[in-house]
Formats: sequence, C-alpha cells, structure tokens
Amino acid sequence: MSTLLEKHIVELLKERDEKAISLLYDNYADTLLGVAYKVVKDGDLAQDVVQESFVKIWKKADSYDASKAKLFTWLFRITRNTAIDKLRSINTKSDKEIQIDVSDVYNLGVLTTRPEFMDVKEHLEKIEPKYKVVLDALFFEGMTQQEASDELGIPLGTIKSRLKIGLRELRKIYGTTMVLGILLNLVS
Amino acid sequence: MKEKIKNFLDTDLLEKYLLETTSTEETLKVERYITMHPEVRNTYNELQENLEVYAKLHALETPEGLKDKVLYRIKQEGKAKGKFFKYAIAASIAAFIFAGSSLFFYNQNQRLEDEKTMVTNQIKDLEMDMKVQLEDLRNQYIVLNNPNTKKFQVMGNKKAKELKAVAYVNPVKQLSYINVHNLPQLPEDQCYQMWAEVNGKMVNLGIIKQFDNKEQLLALPYADHAVSYITIEQQGGNTTPTVQNIVANISY
Repeated sequence: MSTLLEKHIVELLKERDEKAISLLYDNYADTLLGVAYKVVKDGDLAQDVVQESFVKIWKKADSYDASKAKLFTWLFRITRNTAIDKLRSINTKSDKEIQIDVSDVYNLGVLTTRPEFMDVKEHLEKIEPKYKVVLDALFFEGMTQQEASDELGIPLGTIKSRLKIGLRELRKIYGTTMVLGILLNLVS
Repeated sequence: MKEKIKNFLDTDLLEKYLLETTSTEETLKVERYITMHPEVRNTYNELQENLEVYAKLHALETPEGLKDKVLYRIKQEGKAKGKFFKYAIAASIAAFIFAGSSLFFYNQNQRLEDEKTMVTNQIKDLEMDMKVQLEDLRNQYIVLNNPNTKKFQVMGNKKAKELKAVAYVNPVKQLSYINVHNLPQLPEDQCYQMWAEVNGKMVNLGIIKQFDNKEQLLALPYADHAVSYITIEQQGGNTTPTVQNIVANISY
C-alpha cells in the first residue's frame, strides 16, 4: 500500500467521488473484514459490519484528518467501533428475544484467508501464541495493558515484555512484507 | 523531560488513542505529546504500522457480491441525500404556500374588518337618519294635528303661476313646515331654491328637487314674523337669493 494511493483515495473521498469507496474496498475490505470478524466472531455479521463501516466511512469522509492518523488507522477505528456496536445491539436483542450464540464455531468455514497472505500467515504462525494473545488484546479487544493483565491473569510486567517482543516479531514480518510488497510492485 | 516521556509511554494512553478509546481529555493530552515529542510521534507511527500489519495478518477473503452491496448502499446514500433535497424542496413549497395563504387570509381578514367597520358606521348613520326622520315625522304630526297650527296657502307670482304650496306654522311648538304641491317646469340650467329670513338673516334652505313625493313636508326654521322665499336660481343653487327672481313668499 503506497502512501501515494492513500493520498489519492483521501482526495477522492474529500471530493465525494464514489470511486474512493471502490478503491478503498479493493485495498482494505479483506483486512477490515478480518478486523470485524475478530470482534463479532461471525461471518455474516462481519460482512454486515463491513457494509455499515463503508457507509460510515463515506459519511464521515470529511472528518478524516491525515495529520492525526494514517488512513488505515482511521478505517480500522470505524470498523472496530461498528463491530463493537453491532455486537452490543445483538446482545441487547438476544437479551430480549432468543439467545443467539455468537461463537467461533459458527460460520468459521464460510470465510477463507486470502492466498496472497498465506506467506504472512506463516509468519503469523511463527509468533508464539502467548505474544499473539497480548497483541490481540491490545489491537482488537482494545484492552489496556492493565486490563489485559487482569483478564489473562498475567502480571503487568510480563504483559509489557510480551507486548514488546510481540511487536518486535511483528516488525520482522512487517519488514518482510514491505520488501515483498516492493518486489511485487516492481514485478507488476 | 526524558523521564516525562518515558512515563507517558509507560501508560497505555497511546495504545488507547490508537483504538480511539481515550476520553476527550486524554485525547487532547495524547495529541499534545504526539505534536511536541518526536519520540512519542515515532512510537505512535510505529504502533499504527504494527496495527496495519497485524490486522492484515488476519485479513479474510471478502465474498463475491459484498463489494456490489457496499457500492449499492453508497449510491443509496447519495439518493437519500437527493431525496432529502426533494423533501426540502417540497417542504419549501409547502411553506411558501402556507405563507401565501396566510397572507391571503390575513388580507381577507383585514378587508372584512374594514367592511365590518364600514357597515357598523353605516348602521350608526342609518340609526341617526332614522332618529332624525322619526323626530321630523313626529314634529310633522304634531304640527299637522295641533289646533294652534296655522295653514297658509302659498301661490306663485307672475313668474310661476302654477306654483302651489301649503305652509303649516305652529307658534306654540315653534315649528313650521311647507308642502310644495306643484312647481312649474324650469329650463335645465335653472332650479328652485328656498330661503328663510330669520331674525333679519337670510338662511339658505336648499334646492327644491324633483317633486316625486308631493306629500313630503319640508321643515322651515321657525321665527316670529319670519318670511320664506322661493327663488329661481342657476342650476346648483346660489349663496344669496336673487331678489328679482322671487316666485313666492310666505310670511308666518
């Protein structure tokens, strides 16, 4: 993802050009679907979240401030918040109506990982689960380190060090994907 | 300063800010640190990059048709906006019509108010007229029925031989009336005018119009030894009687 493309998309968004959404979708929809799924843990719900998120992105386009956050960070925030809201509304509904069990078991098979990320997935596999748990808590569950410590029953110091190592591991992958991305761009 | 930055980084504020879970106060604090301290800024940018990479690692293939659904909804949003404008226009027209009709009804109301005032005034005038006429009729009745009333036959002179009138004078009630029976035809540009000399002053009693109602009595101002005259004047009447044109006089 080049910053040039990001800039172009942002410009189109500000100009209220629907092409922006098409470009955003092509470049971010898979990742945002993954983000939504991480929160709602249901394939159909995650798709609804993505749809709603894109509508919000379109509506809130004016509020995006490139000096405060990267485009992805902004997209991530909107999607994550939409997913949390969705989950909340479902939970309130299920309190009133029938209990809908939203669990990992449902629809797991419906969504598949993208082949182009398979290499990355392999890298992800390399990150030890104990680091992934902390990274998930931080990035997807929005927990503070203290909350993660309480939730996971791990001392705060350990959380901090695991986060540090997890992020370092991540940077390794990031470095590889960057190189990979550059290479792919050169080839195509 | 280093310590301050380290302490800041040790809190979860930057991470919370990344996920937009900070309070407004915290947000301002984080943004201040990001702007002022390159170290914080770098950490924040690193976090953003990590987030993107980590999220990408969890990317899931979007099912076919989802993009079309998204684009359709975006189009609907645009239409909704269009719809909103349509409603806005409709509302404006409705408001305009309302304003127009309000103005119309307001004007109509004003007009009706004016008419009402006019009618009330007319009724008052009529009432006054009625009172005057009733008073007049009452006086006529008194004069005509009173045994003290003197009746004078008035005949025209050479200039108007056909002129016939009867004057009724009641010195007790101090009322006097004249009933003009017949007046010779006059050229178009001339008319008959009545006068009365009361206490040495000549009073204009007005022009005698067509004699549609021969029974009508005209009130005369009462005075002791008053004299009434009928003169021929130019059409429209005169301010002083033309003495040589006197056609009749009534002394009472």
